[in-house]
Amino acid sequence: MQTIFTIFLTAILINNVILSKFLGMCPFLGVSRKTSSALGMGFAVTFVIVGASIFTYSLYYLVLVPLHLEYMDLITFILVIASFVQFTEMFIKKFSPALYKSLGIYLPLITTNCAVLYVALDNISSKYDFWQMLASAFGVPLGFTLILYIFSCIRERLDESNVPLPFIGNPIALVCAAIMALAFSGLAGLI
Amino acid sequence: MTYIYAIVFVGILAMFYALGYYLNHKTPLPKECQDLKLECEGCNITSCEVHPVHDIKEEE
Repeated sequence: MQTIFTIFLTAILINNVILSKFLGMCPFLGVSRKTSSALGMGFAVTFVIVGASIFTYSLYYLVLVPLHLEYMDLITFILVIASFVQFTEMFIKKFSPALYKSLGIYLPLITTNCAVLYVALDNISSKYDFWQMLASAFGVPLGFTLILYIFSCIRERLDESNVPLPFIGNPIALVCAAIMALAFSGLAGLI
Repeated sequence: MTYIYAIVFVGILAMFYALGYYLNHKTPLPKECQDLKLECEGCNITSCEVHPVHDIKEEE
């Protein structure tokens, strides 16, 4: 139980997927302008990462290992994630228009989010059992959402600030991201 | 024999993806979601489907 909690907390704060692994930078910069967009993206990423992790983990141990096809993990996971996003988008479109309104526009962007593939591959390379895999699958996107939300709050305040002309837009955002990464690196000694 | 398994397995996954893609594009958008747009400022990756450069091309 302690290990599961450690994996969960580490994935959120210490090995944060954005600030320490530099993955998922495209939505980090592109969809962090407003807090509502950031939360929508974070929720969609959480849903896809948890679902894709369960699928890929099961497929690896139930199909790839018995057939001795472990070397096929990368191509398998890419296809599974892409298919999962397609089917998820289709079902949401058909059965829950309200949910599609809030999540649908983010789903195609998640297909190319490398954080999803990172979690699927990391679950295997770290040799997690099922519950540890679930802890990681929930922790990583929660860390992603947390950073995206904090960053969107900072950017909303930056829009109202008097930023020097050469720094307006992405430059000042990247300076803030660097300071955030420094601040979060201070949590490395927590566990 | 392992190579045959590998080819068949990837073929099945690719077909599964193609089916998902086809069904997803065949499913009509809900009425209230026709004009949804992602508010992405855009990085420098112009091949991304949500990059604003594609909107400019469509308008032209």
